Amino acid sequence: MIRNPRLQEFQIETKPERKPGRQKFTEFLRNTETGTILGRTPESWGKILIFYLIFYSALFALASICMVTFLQQYINPRVPRLQQDYGLIGTSPGLGFRPLPPDVRSTLIWYKGTGYESYKYWEDQLIDFLSVYKKKGQTAGAGQNIFNCDFKHSPPPGKVCDVDIQGWSPCIQENHFSYHLFSPCIFLKLNRIYGWRPEFYNDTRHLPKEMPKDLVSHIKNITAYNKDYANMVWISCQGETPADKENIGPITYLPYQGFPGYFYPYENAEGYLSPLVAIHLVKPNTGILINIECRAWAKNIKYDRKERLGVVHFELMLQ
Amino acid sequence: MGEHGRTDSYRVATIGPIKDDNRTADGQYKTRRKPPAKKRKPGDLDDLKQELDIDFHKITPEELYQRFQTHPENGLSHAKAKENLERDGPNALTPPKQTPEWVKFCKNLFGGFALLLWIGAILCFIAYGIQASTVEEPADDNLYLGIVLAAVVIVTGIFSYYQESKSSKIMESFKNMVPQFATVIREGEKLTLRAEDLVLGDIVEVKFGDRIPADVRIIEARGFKVDNSSLTGESEPQSRGAEFTHENPLETKNLAFFSTNAVEGTAKGIVICCGDNTVMGRIAGLASGLDTGETPIAKEIHHFIHLITGVAVFLGVTFFLIAFILGYHWLDAVIFLIGIIVANVPEGLLATVTVCLTLTAKRMASKNCLVKNLEAVETLGSTSTICSDKTGTLTQNRMTVAHMWFDNQIIEADTTEDQSGVQYDRTSPGFKALAKIATLCNRAEFKGGQDGVPILKKEVAGDASEAALLKCMELALGDVLSIRKRNKKVCEIPFNSTNKYQVSIHESDDPSDPRHLLVMKGAPERILERCSTIFIGGKEKVLDEEMKEAFNNAYLELGGLGERVLGFCDLQLPSDKYPIGYKFNTDDPNFPLENLRFVGLMSMIDPPRAAVPDAVAKCRSAGIKVIMVTGDHPITAKAIAKSVGIISEGNETVEDIAARLNIPVSEVNPREAKAAVVHGTELRELNSDQLDEILKYHTEIVFARTSPQQKLIIVEGCQRLGAIVAVTGDGVNDSPALKKADIGVAMGIAGSDVSKQAADMILLDDNFASIVTGVEEGRLIFDNLKKSIAYTLTSNIPEISPFLAFILCDIPLPLGTVTILCIDLGTDMVPAISLAYEEAESDIMKRQPRNPFTDKLVNERLISMAYGQIGMIQAAAGFFVYFVIMAENGFLPTKLFGIRKQWDSKAINDLTDSYGQEWTYRDRKALEFTCHTAFFVSIVVVQWADLIICKTRRNSIIHQGMRNWALNFGLIFETALAAFLSYTPGMDKGLRMYPLKFVWWLPAIPFMLSIFIYDEIRRFYLRRNPGGWLEQETYY
Repeated sequence: MIRNPRLQEFQIETKPERKPGRQKFTEFLRNTETGTILGRTPESWGKILIFYLIFYSALFALASICMVTFLQQYINPRVPRLQQDYGLIGTSPGLGFRPLPPDVRSTLIWYKGTGYESYKYWEDQLIDFLSVYKKKGQTAGAGQNIFNCDFKHSPPPGKVCDVDIQGWSPCIQENHFSYHLFSPCIFLKLNRIYGWRPEFYNDTRHLPKEMPKDLVSHIKNITAYNKDYANMVWISCQGETPADKENIGPITYLPYQGFPGYFYPYENAEGYLSPLVAIHLVKPNTGILINIECRAWAKNIKYDRKERLGVVHFELMLQ
Repeated sequence: MGEHGRTDSYRVATIGPIKDDNRTADGQYKTRRKPPAKKRKPGDLDDLKQELDIDFHKITPEELYQRFQTHPENGLSHAKAKENLERDGPNALTPPKQTPEWVKFCKNLFGGFALLLWIGAILCFIAYGIQASTVEEPADDNLYLGIVLAAVVIVTGIFSYYQESKSSKIMESFKNMVPQFATVIREGEKLTLRAEDLVLGDIVEVKFGDRIPADVRIIEARGFKVDNSSLTGESEPQSRGAEFTHENPLETKNLAFFSTNAVEGTAKGIVICCGDNTVMGRIAGLASGLDTGETPIAKEIHHFIHLITGVAVFLGVTFFLIAFILGYHWLDAVIFLIGIIVANVPEGLLATVTVCLTLTAKRMASKNCLVKNLEAVETLGSTSTICSDKTGTLTQNRMTVAHMWFDNQIIEADTTEDQSGVQYDRTSPGFKALAKIATLCNRAEFKGGQDGVPILKKEVAGDASEAALLKCMELALGDVLSIRKRNKKVCEIPFNSTNKYQVSIHESDDPSDPRHLLVMKGAPERILERCSTIFIGGKEKVLDEEMKEAFNNAYLELGGLGERVLGFCDLQLPSDKYPIGYKFNTDDPNFPLENLRFVGLMSMIDPPRAAVPDAVAKCRSAGIKVIMVTGDHPITAKAIAKSVGIISEGNETVEDIAARLNIPVSEVNPREAKAAVVHGTELRELNSDQLDEILKYHTEIVFARTSPQQKLIIVEGCQRLGAIVAVTGDGVNDSPALKKADIGVAMGIAGSDVSKQAADMILLDDNFASIVTGVEEGRLIFDNLKKSIAYTLTSNIPEISPFLAFILCDIPLPLGTVTILCIDLGTDMVPAISLAYEEAESDIMKRQPRNPFTDKLVNERLISMAYGQIGMIQAAAGFFVYFVIMAENGFLPTKLFGIRKQWDSKAINDLTDSYGQEWTYRDRKALEFTCHTAFFVSIVVVQWADLIICKTRRNSIIHQGMRNWALNFGLIFETALAAFLSYTPGMDKGLRMYPLKFVWWLPAIPFMLSIFIYDEIRRFYLRRNPGGWLEQETYY
């Protein structure tokens, strides 16, 4: 307890005189009597500032040492430290779609009329998104470690599979992704999870009951054609409500109705490109909002519509 | 006034024609005080503050009967009584106005931080409402948070209300509302009525043992004595009769006052004042009308709340605006505002303070200090002046023989409570003779049924001085009763104020000596007049001038000690003239009352309690000034003050200096005298400046013969000088001062109900020494509250900084509002409370009381330490954990900056991290909440160190030790709670707390250690450079 040394035994501090608020404030700002500015003399300000400067420098140094040590000792810039179920990303990838609307909180793809200006935003979004697929070169060998994969030939370590952008036709840039025809293309992609391998529904006898009938028949058809094609993460899109199902019209999946299994696992290899599925909504109804839900099918992809697990939702509105 | 119909009615007499001129009765300016908010007009209160001014005692009885239309024999008519009752209301005190319960409850519900939290809760509901009306699937977060916030406020409100009402219930145990009855004469008939039904003009009969039912003018009395101690502080019973003896109504013999006790005799009187108009009612009214103001701790807490609220509002509004400028949606800005408010307000702190105070109150109650008002717990600790009543507090409140003079020497008797004091020779003939007189010429007797009780504590029927003699003789001689039996009393003249002596004649117990023995005691000078010889050294000597001189010296010396002196003499009546069976006539004495043999003197005092001198010395070393304020005589007061150390050895009053230097009092420089004894009549002449001067320049002050109003003036004077004043008292007369004091201390045993009502604290053992314990506890809790607040406030920085980083750096939120509440109301609570159990670092009774103007509970140094230093280290620890978890999962620190919008968007289900992995909304939210949990856990970890460093403010922890088991439990508790919150299944749904990997507890440890080491080093320099720069800047 700091006590006024001038006081004698039993003498108590007397009440400080009351000053009006304005005077108190101006005296706080600058008190000529004691030479204080904002309650301290310049010397006192200097001392306290130097103290805090040293203190925070030391604290910053401590934090930096901790951070740098941690990053250098425990973090590999190529391989995530915690993978799949060891981390929080888990083993059930989600689905994403492109193009994204301008507002990050919205999932509505909306344009009016068939004029270029009206769908320019969406087209630009897709051009931007697909540019990495274009840049790497159309054919194998152009990119350094691009490998021409197929269902029989998985890429060797360090190599990545090529994505054939021509297989998306008519969902290609030259065709304005078909937006001008009121039959827009939407690209779907499966979230990359380091080291994740899908467990395919490749046995036509054991397909889940809830799988849409057209997908079931598609799987049956395609596996009958070539058994290797069964190693795919299947995709099915449909309207959310019965009305949406009416309005959505026919859908084509390009190049396949799914993501070929040879793209997995993702191991952060240089130049890796996620496989894409272009969904061509051939003739959706216009002038009405259509809720579309696309679901990825693999045995180790969990599904929960409310939690948006293994599913992507977006709305389409054409006017 | 018109309704009274008479200009000389009581009310007119008291109010008078003079309007309130803003001065007290003594012509001093009244102190500046807010008028009480109640209906009571300011003038009314001043009226009460004035000395009593009535004329009922002056006028003749006939005039009185006329005035009240009553008759001394027949009393009032029933009709008139009914009319009076309807006009004046019942004869009872209006109970002090109680704040309605719901108002108290609302105060708890909306006071303090509650308002700020209500705002937060309402903002939450608004945000939720808007979201609900605009978005299809609104996030429940805001609704949830709003409900939690409201629940927090309501629960803490109910909690403090409960605590408050619990402590106020203490009073109810003291209320003993036994209905009082009075014997009244109406229309010539004796009736027994309830005291409430008495009206002005009633003729009442009172006998010993009764309580006086109203203010009464005596018209007939037989040996009537009243005990006025609760009203005036005089400890002796006062005799009362029909004669008018004094202008002052309190001193005149023909008035007896409401609620005082009749101890002897019977009387008949006429009721002159009823209910609130009685003297007692006026004092009670004065007490309840006083504005007591805030307790020092309440001021401190308000100061602190203002500080924190200011910071919260400032930060909240600033960041609200910044958020706008940065282009956030206004709803987001509102949510930021809520977050900042929640982070800034230490929600659990007020409850912590209440619990700390309750714990101390409990501890004090076990040491005989019962605290009525929780906040008063600390007030004693900041007390700088104690105005103590003498009787019963400093003294034992029982007359005891202190000295004897016989054989021409003064002998000291043992006055201690446990008879551990000096012993004296009980075999000398002088003592034997004196003892015989004291035993026989004594009407006091022990009351029955007290076999096991120590002699000094036995109750005695009879006068206080006789009781003192009886006890003294019982101690010296043994069975007094059998001695009296053996020396049968044959006749007696009781004491009366004209004779000033008491005489009795006894048969001898010596079978060989048939002579009667005449024994007499009384006022020494009167006794001496009746003596011609003196008994010294076993021989009878002629009482010559030399002996008279010796007597006078002894008499003066004993009188100078403030003691009441009695003289004793005896005479062996010659057996030839007064044979056994002789008829002694007391009305017309037929036996000698002159030329007796003088034996000795005995002097009595109400001795100080054994523990008091020590307690006073402790107060002095603690820098507390002890002022004695008493209704007793100055000499007695001074003697007691000297014997207990209120006036210390070698300190002189102005009068002492004058006597020593042999100069007139007026020539002495008052500044030279450290001590002062101020008489009530002197005090009446002083204006407030002069009073201030006395209080300022004398360190040892005794006020004697003070009236209740003057006690109040003294307390106000001390407060005017900035002191925090404690007042002790037991009587009704003390209650205004008790109420006005910062802390009023009433006596549990001897105290009147009114004084207990007015007080904040009750000493169960009536012992002044218990106050010292209270002071010690009060100071300790103030220190410990500082520590507790420092501990709690520290975690505010790691709570706020995540929000600021969230807004300014656009990183995903590192710590959520729910986790903040888990810290404030969960893990921080028990450790903060446990600091209340911390031992004192040094001898707190050796330092000065705190300066209420500069020594704040929460000062800038505490804030600088908590916020600027320790809090920052804690925040660094939290952020480190956050970045570690993010990086381990794939988001390296550089990736996080600027990611907030995408991160928080439900629409984005494929957010890329540093390794090209893509995260769904759900997964990254799980990651975010894991970070919240880890941030929370790391705050718990660094709070371990904070708790340990908060144990001491100066000493090393090695010196202080870890013996506070409550605190050690607190450490374990907070850790266990954190683990519980993190690992209990379902917490991810309920509180969004996720299980952590064990290693995620560890990143905070280097920071925890650095807090500990930093503060040990800081305190090392504090100890090495006392008063140095570091102390000025960081010692809170």
